[in-house]
Amino acid sequence: MEKKFLILQKNTQDKMREKATTLYIGPQHPGITGNMMVKVQVEGDTIVRARTEVGYLHRAFEKLQERRNWLQSFTLLCRFCVPEPDPVEESYARAVELLEGREVPERAKYIRVLMLELARMGSYMLWYGGQSGSLGLYTIGQWTVGDRNYILDLFEELTGGRVYHMYIWPGGVRRDLPEGFADKVLRTMDYFEKRLKDYDDLMFENTIFQKRTQGVGVIPKEKAVEWGVVGPVLRGCGIKSDIRIDDPYEVYDKLDFIVPTHEGGDIWSRALVRRQEIRQSIRIIRQVIENMPSGEYYNRIPNPFKWTLPKGDAYARTEATRGEVAMYIVSDGSIHPRRTHFRGAAYVHGITLLEKILIGENVADISAIMNSLGVCPPEIER
Amino acid sequence: MMKELKEKIVQRIKANFADAAEKNDFNYNRLDFTVKKETIPSILFYLKDEMGFIHLSDANCVDWLEEGELELVFIVWSPKDKIKIFVRTRLDRDNPVMDNLDMIWPQLNTYEREFREMFGVQVTGLEAPDEFILEDWQGPPPFRRDFDTAAYAEKTFWERPGREDAQDVRETIANRDGEEIPDFAKKYSR
Amino acid sequence: MVNDKNSQKIVDFIQNWARKHSIWVLAYGTGCGAIEIPPTMTSRYDAERLGVRGAATPRQADVLLITGYLTVKTLKRVIRVYEQMQDPKYVIGFGSCTINGGMYYDSYNTIKVLDKYLPVDVYINGCMPRPEAVLSGFARLQKRIAEGRANGAQQYKDNLEWYRANQKKIIPNWIMPEYNW
Repeated sequence: MEKKFLILQKNTQDKMREKATTLYIGPQHPGITGNMMVKVQVEGDTIVRARTEVGYLHRAFEKLQERRNWLQSFTLLCRFCVPEPDPVEESYARAVELLEGREVPERAKYIRVLMLELARMGSYMLWYGGQSGSLGLYTIGQWTVGDRNYILDLFEELTGGRVYHMYIWPGGVRRDLPEGFADKVLRTMDYFEKRLKDYDDLMFENTIFQKRTQGVGVIPKEKAVEWGVVGPVLRGCGIKSDIRIDDPYEVYDKLDFIVPTHEGGDIWSRALVRRQEIRQSIRIIRQVIENMPSGEYYNRIPNPFKWTLPKGDAYARTEATRGEVAMYIVSDGSIHPRRTHFRGAAYVHGITLLEKILIGENVADISAIMNSLGVCPPEIER
Repeated sequence: MMKELKEKIVQRIKANFADAAEKNDFNYNRLDFTVKKETIPSILFYLKDEMGFIHLSDANCVDWLEEGELELVFIVWSPKDKIKIFVRTRLDRDNPVMDNLDMIWPQLNTYEREFREMFGVQVTGLEAPDEFILEDWQGPPPFRRDFDTAAYAEKTFWERPGREDAQDVRETIANRDGEEIPDFAKKYSR
Repeated sequence: MVNDKNSQKIVDFIQNWARKHSIWVLAYGTGCGAIEIPPTMTSRYDAERLGVRGAATPRQADVLLITGYLTVKTLKRVIRVYEQMQDPKYVIGFGSCTINGGMYYDSYNTIKVLDKYLPVDVYINGCMPRPEAVLSGFARLQKRIAEGRANGAQQYKDNLEWYRANQKKIIPNWIMPEYNW
């Protein structure tokens, strides 16, 4: 009797083992955001175990910066996270200024906020495309990614580059706003305000989008802060947290804007938070242009090849679209950084958090969940 | 107000952890403590559970080659008090050993894997695959100061030789493919 | 099937004409260059009018677009992907870092010269190349295909040992099926 039971048990175990299949999603997979791999074990199409594998984009920036001087680092910095390079530049510039005690002119601070908010809008436009594309809605991407070019045009006029700007640097910004630039920005904002309604009709009113995002990829509210969730993802759990308010930098404490939050913690509430943040960005940009003082835009640094920083360390945090990004720099008094370390939001979201919340989800939703968390592999492995 | 709050925090930590050496100026919203390596788990637990520093902002490692030490820096943030605390410790560079801390914050698991791979720090009790970012890496831990990345790259990878004859690249390509160089561009040709 | 020279010429012409107008790009963003692919594909630049569109799997793709630097770990996957692709297949090196390493010239983890490891048909330089440059690169590839000069795949087959030796030099743990077709 006992023997028979054992055999029965063994057979059941074998059947269970047969059921669980391992799938390798990535690195070459159209649904993956960037170049990384998620290895999932599925039973039917439900994920029971998920492991990420990263490292496909490791360029050793932190090592290379030890060989560059303080200013040369900027060419590397903007490549940390490609969709939105400006917050990284800003946090590094501000860390250097904190360490050196360098004053930044008021006008430069306003221009920096303008840059950061434009970058935020551009990044969200790309996110629209990624989030809807991961659910099979391709028209939205055609609209938003096409319209994103209007923001990139502004960047191009201001900085000379569409994607990489290297515009914010220690002591201020690289050049002043060109003539008539403010009007162009305002016209672009008017255009986007009009377009946002079209995007809403296409995306948020869409039943497919609603059904596939509500209740999917839920992050429990009570665990969220402990698990290292930041940015729009945390605000989508109903927790009001924003570096712009909590640890204000540049001139954000003089500007009037609200931080939207939504209860739920699923893809849907994260999408709503992002949608409302675009409106707030437009509001901030209008205020910045209205209140921008005249005067200097750059507090000149000495010859960069002889420019040394005092011994010590500094840590500057910035709110990007993915959440909190920060730069930690250590100086030993020479012209090269001793060590720099970049803290990206995706470093936490893309590995430990993703592995946790994928469990119990559907295989088809992996891509949508990754997009909603803002997983950006070049930021993870740097 | 802020200054009083900070002094209170400093007093509480000094009362509980005798070996915490502080180096603080109260003008900037950060506090700085250096502790022995054995104290790290207990001070991080204390900060998180008792004092409300629930958000781990960053953890990283600095190689002090000349002093023969590796420095670990943990940066924690309190959403309630809006203060960040730096907790530092030093490890022996020749035999760096630290305890696994991922029961405090699960994301520390990722940071520890990076320390292990990039700085050669041995993390006792860390349950994770051996490889994190690098694959089949045979050299020394690459983020240590004594690893020369330029020499390694020169030795390992092909390098495209530069042009020695100082010819105009644009002209050469145009001639090869039978294209016209526009007039405005001719001005810049050598 | 076709024996005399003139008929072969006509067949080649038709074949190349057909190939030139359906360049399907494998959706594999290997580096930061992947950021300029969505603008190239969407409404303003609209690469589909040249017959360029994305393909999800290597078997259906014609072009392997190496968007940017390649780390050693990715190179291993890229070689695997390239060998899975079916003829006709072309490689485009996108960005300065595929040409000479670009700003990662001293990094221990990125390769510097792509054409030592894979046969490159067209290079697009710049960091980051603009969508216009990408389109111009595709147009150049079309021109080369029409002229019958885009024969990187044949070159790879003929010099497989040389390529393989280069690849094995930097990939220490070679556990991949051999390419024998």
